[in-house]
Amino acid sequence: MKSRYADENLSWIAPLVLLVIAIPFLIRGVTFSYRYYLYVLNIAGIYTILAVGLDILSGYTGLISLGHAGFFAIGAYTSAVLVDQAGIPFGLSLIITPIITGFFGLVVGFPALRVSGMYLGLTTMGFGFIARRLIIALRAWTEGSAGLEVSNPVLFGFEFASDWANYFLIFTFVVAVVVVARRVMNSKIGRAFMAIRDSERAAEAAGVNLTRYKLLAFFMSAVLAGLAGVLFAHTMRFISTDHFDILLSIYFIIMILVGGVGSIYGAVLGSVFIVLLDFLLIPAFKDWMALFVAIEVADIQSLIFGLIMFLFIIFQPMGLYGVWLKMRIYWKLFPFNPKKRFT
Amino acid sequence: MPDLQIEDLHVRFSGVVALNGVSMEIREGEIFSLVGPNGSGKTTLFNCVSGFVKPHHGTICYGGLDLLSQPPHRIIDAGISRTFQNLQNVPYMTILDNVLLGNHSRIDNWETVRRWLSRDQRESEEQAVLKVLDFLGLANYEQKYLSGQPYGIQKLVEVARSLVSRPKLVLIDEPAAGMNDQETMEIAKIITEIRDDLGITVLVVEHDMSLVMSISDRVCVLDSGNIVTVGNPDEVKEHPDVISAFLGEGAVA
Repeated sequence: MKSRYADENLSWIAPLVLLVIAIPFLIRGVTFSYRYYLYVLNIAGIYTILAVGLDILSGYTGLISLGHAGFFAIGAYTSAVLVDQAGIPFGLSLIITPIITGFFGLVVGFPALRVSGMYLGLTTMGFGFIARRLIIALRAWTEGSAGLEVSNPVLFGFEFASDWANYFLIFTFVVAVVVVARRVMNSKIGRAFMAIRDSERAAEAAGVNLTRYKLLAFFMSAVLAGLAGVLFAHTMRFISTDHFDILLSIYFIIMILVGGVGSIYGAVLGSVFIVLLDFLLIPAFKDWMALFVAIEVADIQSLIFGLIMFLFIIFQPMGLYGVWLKMRIYWKLFPFNPKKRFT
Repeated sequence: MPDLQIEDLHVRFSGVVALNGVSMEIREGEIFSLVGPNGSGKTTLFNCVSGFVKPHHGTICYGGLDLLSQPPHRIIDAGISRTFQNLQNVPYMTILDNVLLGNHSRIDNWETVRRWLSRDQRESEEQAVLKVLDFLGLANYEQKYLSGQPYGIQKLVEVARSLVSRPKLVLIDEPAAGMNDQETMEIAKIITEIRDDLGITVLVVEHDMSLVMSISDRVCVLDSGNIVTVGNPDEVKEHPDVISAFLGEGAVA
């Protein structure tokens, strides 16, 4: 009998973990330049952690943030300074830095109690600029806009010195974050977040403390951005303020839009899709496309991202995860498919 | 004995007088209806009780607790829950989750954290919800998403959400608005059962007079923020001020 309860079906977790472990071996078997593909996957993993955090804030709670590159940068620079200059071990920084970033999240969250919608977007965007200027201003530690070299991650005496080792470090966190985030979003916290998004009145009448839960959403989101920042700084080994600009924040928004707003799997799908597109597909077609479209090669990335976001919002507002859900219904009903359903 | 006592309530919205010195007492275990034309202050009174509107003057006490000193999210801890006139639901959540939302204040935080680590994630939380859904005749709807469900179901889900936390007093705002006759009869039956079987006091705002007259123990008639009369349905029906206010002068003859 089908269970009446909404407990998760957990049987897929083991195959998924095996797949994540198997992917680097598969790639090494298939191609000679596997190191580059692992590097791309590492970036996808880091951005997945951040996109899950952004989805909790913007997708679930409905508080738009255009400043997530700011949290990301604070996480990266804090960890770089703590580990390389204050001598704190990487493992400890992995715990402290997200919490520090989380407090920045609380600070940014306070205006969110008053403003909403586009105004909140502008407030958080302002935070993104401030964070970047702040990092440049703290020249003594961050070397300003020149960029900062960062040490390799070292955990329990093991140094993660290659993209191969980093892959396993990063994807351990990705799997943990996805599993935990799904569970949190399935509990009373997730319900409170969605209620705040759709009806603040109903949330309050049900006993949700709006102040506390909005701040909690900002905190959780900033913690994940901080975690992504730590991993980014130490696995990329070089960080520069140029990287953390407003376009990066918009890049994150595109990820959750393309993946499907308000679902953790959507955030995962979206960030992997966008990173693969950015690093593998676009470089492959760049020069070829420039032959047909009279456009600078460098602008093709923006052109394609803009187009993709545009098309997804119009034709597939539920994103890639929505496509997956529809496909599942399609196969379930197989010979009796109402044609309209599969659009 | 937890009675809801409302005394001398004044609410103004920049010049518009919504409530002008309203006093009433809702006794435990009764079905109390508020009726009146649009803009007579029924929903404002609801919003005062549930903390969304702070009156300029007056007191609201429930079982010795001053409700006006409480923020809106604490009202449910006092045992008062409410539904809304316009649907205030979360469309992209299952019906089960929508109803579970109503149990928010009753679910222990540490219990929640502990469950993140365990396999049986929510079974104990959901028992209470399934009971309420069965009570309202929504069994087997719980896994459906709320968006796309008929209006009557969505309205019932909101009632379920207000009942799941086992309140002592529930405020129901226009349960029959937009319902057909059959659904209205069902709502009437449900409201009576909420009082009789669950022992919950019901305060209801409604425009459908036949519904109000058939279920209420007492009826309060409001007009432009003033109480016209309070009494049992038969008295109210015969009251000359009510007849002149709602049916016009000549309607008596």
